[in-house]
Amino acid sequence: MISTLLAAALITCQAADSTVVLDSITVSGNSKRNYQLRSTMSGLQISHQFLETNFAGSLMQTLESVPGVKAMNIGSGQSKPTIRGLGFNRMAVVEDGIKHEGQQWGDDHGLEIDQFAIDRVEVIKGPAALLYGSDAIGGVLSLYSNHVPRERFQGSVQVFGRTNNEQLGISAKLGGRFGNFFYRANATLIDYADFQVPTDSIQYYSYYIRLKERRLRNTAGRERDWSVMAGYDGYDFHTDVRLSSNWAKSGFFANAHGLEVRLSEIDYDKSRRDIDLPYQSVNHIKVLSHTLWRGDVVTVDVNLAYQHNKREEHSEPVSHGYMPRPGDSLERRFTKSTATANAKVTWDINDRHNLSSGASVEYQHNRRGGWGFIIPDFETLQCGAFVLDKFTVSNQLVFNAGVRYDYGRTHIHSYNDWYKTPVSPGDSVFMERSGDQRRNFNSFTWSAGVNYNTGGWVLKANVGKSFRIPIPKELGADGINYHIFRYEKGYAHLDPEQSYQLDAGIHWSGKSLTVQVDPYINYFPNYIYLNPTSTYVEGLQLYQYTQARVLRWGLEAQVNYEFNRHWSAEVKGDYLYARQQSGDKKGFTLPFSTPWSADATVKYSYSWRGDGFVSVNAHVVGDQNEIVPPEKPTPGHWTLNAQAGKHFDMGRYVLKITFHADNLLNKRYYDHTSYYRLIDVPEPGRNFSLMVGLDF
Amino acid sequence: MKKYIFAALILLAVTACGDDKNRDLSYPRISTADIEASPTNCHEYRRGEVIKFNYMFYDDTELGMFNIEVHNNFDHHSHSTSSTECTMDPNKEPVKPWVFNQGYNIPSGRTEYNAKVDIPIPTDIDTGDYHFMVRLTDMAGWQQLQAFSIKIVE
Repeated sequence: MISTLLAAALITCQAADSTVVLDSITVSGNSKRNYQLRSTMSGLQISHQFLETNFAGSLMQTLESVPGVKAMNIGSGQSKPTIRGLGFNRMAVVEDGIKHEGQQWGDDHGLEIDQFAIDRVEVIKGPAALLYGSDAIGGVLSLYSNHVPRERFQGSVQVFGRTNNEQLGISAKLGGRFGNFFYRANATLIDYADFQVPTDSIQYYSYYIRLKERRLRNTAGRERDWSVMAGYDGYDFHTDVRLSSNWAKSGFFANAHGLEVRLSEIDYDKSRRDIDLPYQSVNHIKVLSHTLWRGDVVTVDVNLAYQHNKREEHSEPVSHGYMPRPGDSLERRFTKSTATANAKVTWDINDRHNLSSGASVEYQHNRRGGWGFIIPDFETLQCGAFVLDKFTVSNQLVFNAGVRYDYGRTHIHSYNDWYKTPVSPGDSVFMERSGDQRRNFNSFTWSAGVNYNTGGWVLKANVGKSFRIPIPKELGADGINYHIFRYEKGYAHLDPEQSYQLDAGIHWSGKSLTVQVDPYINYFPNYIYLNPTSTYVEGLQLYQYTQARVLRWGLEAQVNYEFNRHWSAEVKGDYLYARQQSGDKKGFTLPFSTPWSADATVKYSYSWRGDGFVSVNAHVVGDQNEIVPPEKPTPGHWTLNAQAGKHFDMGRYVLKITFHADNLLNKRYYDHTSYYRLIDVPEPGRNFSLMVGLDF
Repeated sequence: MKKYIFAALILLAVTACGDDKNRDLSYPRISTADIEASPTNCHEYRRGEVIKFNYMFYDDTELGMFNIEVHNNFDHHSHSTSSTECTMDPNKEPVKPWVFNQGYNIPSGRTEYNAKVDIPIPTDIDTGDYHFMVRLTDMAGWQQLQAFSIKIVE
C-alpha cells in the first residue's frame, strides 16, 4: 500500500540496485551499511547480483538464506514466504510499492509473481504497519522489478534447470534508454515434471500409497510470464507504467488431494509431465504506474495499480454427503480485482527533521465460482493515512516515530448451497453457508525507533503496533473445506487482529568479523486462530475461527568471518517460541511453528577472468514437538548442500553460471511447515540446479 | 512508554512459561479390545438389516464426540484403512444411494467409552459397495479416523 512510498523513497535515496555490493551469503558493502544506519527497522536489502549468484531453484528458496525468512512448501515445487513464522495474510508481499493481492489465505496457493523479473528484494522483519497498512505484522517482502536501464540497448537471457522435478526454464529481459525515456520487457517460460521424494511409499493414517519411481503423482506444472514497461526518468521527475501477466498451472498430488485419500480411474503414471485432475491454474495481471516529483525540500510520490487475479481449482467431481456428483470439475474459482492508489509527500524540514506523510486507498472485489464453497463473494475498501518524522540528532543517533490511522469496510454476500440438504423428515433446503454482512473496522497504529552507531556497532530498537483486518474467510466461512476435509466456520464479530512488537538489532562489524543478533518479542491480544474443536458438523470435524492471546519471541543470529582474501565462513540460525495464552488451546503453540534451524557455510572465492566461488553448507533443523491438532511432531534433520558460481567477463558480455546442489546425501526428512507434512510426504530428495545467464 | 511495554511483555513471557503443562498431545483411539467389534471390513449386510455398531473409544485426557458416516463407493474412489482388500462389484452410477451422516455425543469426562449404535439400513436404497466411516475426536481437537468397506445386498 503505502509501501509504494517507501519503495519510491528507497529508489530515490539509492542509486541503481547494482551499486549494492554483495558477498555471496551475507550482504555487505557501504550501501548496506548506510541502509542499516538509516533505518531503525530490522531490514535487509538483497541485490540482483546476490539473487543470481545464489539462485537456489526459486526466488523463495534463495531468500531462505536470510535468517528468519522461510519458504513454506505447498507442493508442486511451489512455496510461500513466511517471516519470523508468520505467513499468509500476516505478512505483506509488495511489488514495486503495491501490495500484491492474490488469494494468499490459501494453504496451497503460491505467489503469482515472475521471480526472474525481480531486480532486487528488501526484507523487513517485524511490524511495518505504519508504512504498509493492514497485514504487515510479521514483516514485508518487498520486490522490485522497476530498475531503469542505463544503456541504449541491454538485456539478458537465462536458461535454468533442476534435476529433481526435471524443470526447464528460460527467461529473457530486454531494455533500453533514449535520453530520458526508457523501456523494458521480459518473458519467462518454466515447465516441470512430478517431483521426487526419497521414499517408495507414503503412509497416511493407515492408508498405504505406493509411489511409482519415487515421484509424487501429478505434481507437474508450467508457468508463463511476461511484462512490458515504459517510462520517463529525468532529474526531478520520473514516471513509468508496467503491465505484467503471470500464468501458472500445476497439479495437486493425486493420491491425497487435501486429506482424503482417493483412488481414481485416471492413469496418472502414463506421463510424469502431464497435468491431470486435480490441478490449479492462476492468472495474475497487473498494471502499475509510479510517478515521482523531486523538489529541493519536498518530494511527492504517487502510485496507481490495478490487479486482476483469476484462480481455478479443478478436481474430479464426486458426491459427498448430501451433495450429488457435480456436473463438471470446477471446484473453486476466485476472481479478484484490486485497485490501489497511494501518495506520499516527504519534506526535509531542516537538517534534523525529515517528515513524511502519506495516504492510501485499496478496493477489492472478489467473486467465487465452482461447486466447492470456501469463501463468500465480497467487496472491501481500505483507506489509511500516516505521518512519520525522522529526527537526526547526529550522525550517530537517529530517532523516528509515526502514527497511522486506517479505516476498512467489508461487505460479504450471502451464499446458499446449490443442492438441498434434508433438515427434517420431508423437508430439505438450500443451506445458507454465509450470511450477508457488513463490517467496519478502525485501527490506530504507531511505531517508534532509535538507531545508534558508534565504532563498529550499530544498535537498533523499534517498538510498534501492527494490525490486520479479518479476511472474509475468517468472518464468513461456513462449510466444508474439501481440500483439507474439515468443516470451517467463521465468526462474524472478529475484531481486527492487533500485534505489539519490540525488536532490537545488535550488529558489530570489525575488520574480518561480523556479528549480528536480532531478538524480538511479539504479543497479540487477539490472534485470529482456526481452532480444531471436538464437534462434528455434517460428518466433519468443526474448525472454528476464534481469537486468543498469543505471545511469541525469538531471535536471529549470524556470524561471518573472513580468514583471508579467499576463504570465509558463516554461521547463522534462528529460533522462535509461540504460545497461546487464552482460549481452548491455551498452552499450545500456533500452527506451523517453525523449529530452530542453523546453517554453517565455508566458502572459497577467487578471481580468474571474473569472480567465482565454491561453497559447502550444512543445514541443521531441530525437532519440532510444539504442535497443535492435527499436526504431528517432526523430528529434526540435517542436509549437506553445495554451491558454485562463476562470472566470465567477455568484453561487453558477461557469462554467469550458478550451480546449486541440495540434499547431497539424499536424506529423507520432513519439513514441519510444509503443506504435505500432514499427509506424511517427505521433502524432495537430492537435487541439482543449474542456471546459465548471458548479460549483454 | 517503551519501558512499560517492554516490562509488560517480559512479564507475559514469564507468566507464559507456567502454562506449559497439561497439554493434550495425543490422538484418541478406536479399538476392538475385549468386545465383538462391528462393523468389520468387507462385511455384507442386507437391506432392512440393522448395523450394530460396537467399538471401544479411548483417550488419555477426555473423549470428545464421534461421527458415523456411510456413503457409496460405486466409483471405487478410495479404499478403507484396513489392509485387507474386499471384492468389489463393477463400477456403477448411483440412483438412490444410501447417505447416512450422524454425530453422537460422548458423556463428558470419559477417557473410555463403549459406543453402541443401531443403524437400520433403509429398504429402498441402491445395493452395492459402501464406505462406513468412523470419526472420533478428543476434547483437545485431535481426530482419529477409521474406514470400513461394506457391501449391501438385496
